[in-house]
Amino acid sequence: MRDGIELARLNIPVVALLTEEFWPQGDFVAQAAGMPAVPRVRLPHPVAGTGPTRMATIASDNATAIVSALTVPASP
Amino acid sequence: MTSGTAIDGNSLLEAADNFDAIELLHQLGCTDGLPAIVPTPERVEAMVLATGIDGDLSIGSMGPGGGAATIRTIAANAVMAGCIPDLMPFVLASVRAVLDPRFDLGEMQGTTHCTAPLIIANGPLSETCGIASGFGALGPGFRSNATIGRALRLCMMNIGGARPGTSDMALLGHPGKFTFCLAENEADSPLEPLHLRWGYEAEDTVVTVVGAEPPHSVLFVSGDDADSPDRLLRVLAATIANVGSNNVNMSAGAVTVVLNIDHANLLHSAGYNKSMIAEKLAEYATQDADHLNRFNPSLGRPKSGVVQALRSPDDVLVLVAGGGGLYSVVMPSWAAGPNRNSAVHARVETDQACQVPWA
Repeated sequence: MRDGIELARLNIPVVALLTEEFWPQGDFVAQAAGMPAVPRVRLPHPVAGTGPTRMATIASDNATAIVSALTVPASP
Repeated sequence: MTSGTAIDGNSLLEAADNFDAIELLHQLGCTDGLPAIVPTPERVEAMVLATGIDGDLSIGSMGPGGGAATIRTIAANAVMAGCIPDLMPFVLASVRAVLDPRFDLGEMQGTTHCTAPLIIANGPLSETCGIASGFGALGPGFRSNATIGRALRLCMMNIGGARPGTSDMALLGHPGKFTFCLAENEADSPLEPLHLRWGYEAEDTVVTVVGAEPPHSVLFVSGDDADSPDRLLRVLAATIANVGSNNVNMSAGAVTVVLNIDHANLLHSAGYNKSMIAEKLAEYATQDADHLNRFNPSLGRPKSGVVQALRSPDDVLVLVAGGGGLYSVVMPSWAAGPNRNSAVHARVETDQACQVPWA
């Protein structure tokens, strides 16, 4: 999340990927870092350790949202 | 009775009495779940005075929330933790240490791993201030250990903003997240004190802080044979490199090894100093990759070869504490973060206070 915020500060298109369980933490960090609107996409939980097949499914299911977040101008 | 309560050193709350003030602190989420001493302005100012520093001075922002760690906010949390003013220099040094960017505090507070800052006190003021180093030093019964460690935790919650499940994402946590502080038993140890490795003098008082898992007990019964010291080192190393540890699975991170006095004497008698102990532990703390892959095949490591748990001997913190006997302790670490869970340190400053004119 912080990496995303730092890149966004450099005007580099960015999207933070957060699983459902970590969504509140993402909100907290975004608020604390002064960039509450940094683009992020909500993924199902868990992702890590679930195997290549499930990861590929999650990537496929969320690719459109990720591309959209990277190509639509974010509000400050 | 009306009792003013200063929560963060700046806001002043009101409560009908001391009991209600404690309840208010609980309701506001300012405690660790245990009752806190009410940080009245008088108590906080006494704690600030013990530092000899302007209460408004900020020594940094504390992650993950980025709150300003002013002397006064630190003091308020030290009061809540039950510290007496004499302990404030240790609290302040501990906060300064974890604010060192090499400690990766914001990342550490947010990890799902069970890790907590272990405070290790060295130097003459540790004993003067009653920081226990002997039997049960990491357990209950020692006011200084309990309150210094608790003060740092309350700072991490109330200044850093760490709250379970939203900003402190430890899946389970560990009891050391209430308090985690001890001193090295320098008086009895045959080995050089930990703080000398950082370049301090023996007469300096220093805190070393490292993110650590709870203690993993290491049973070793010494024989009278010449191989005993080496066997002890191998048992310690095997615990460091246990197949579930982050250290061996990431080949990084600091590890804390607390030798009981008998084990320390055994190694010292065999000619080991701390540097040599660390070198041997770094050498011995390994696993075969194919063995590790039987347990965690999805971590993407090489299929064969030797996996080192430690990058170098510099990642091993060796200290002597606890009672004498069969058990020493290993504390693995998170091993992640930009600086891979590095240990940090800070001198306990006691020369900042002004001279009391009538003393």
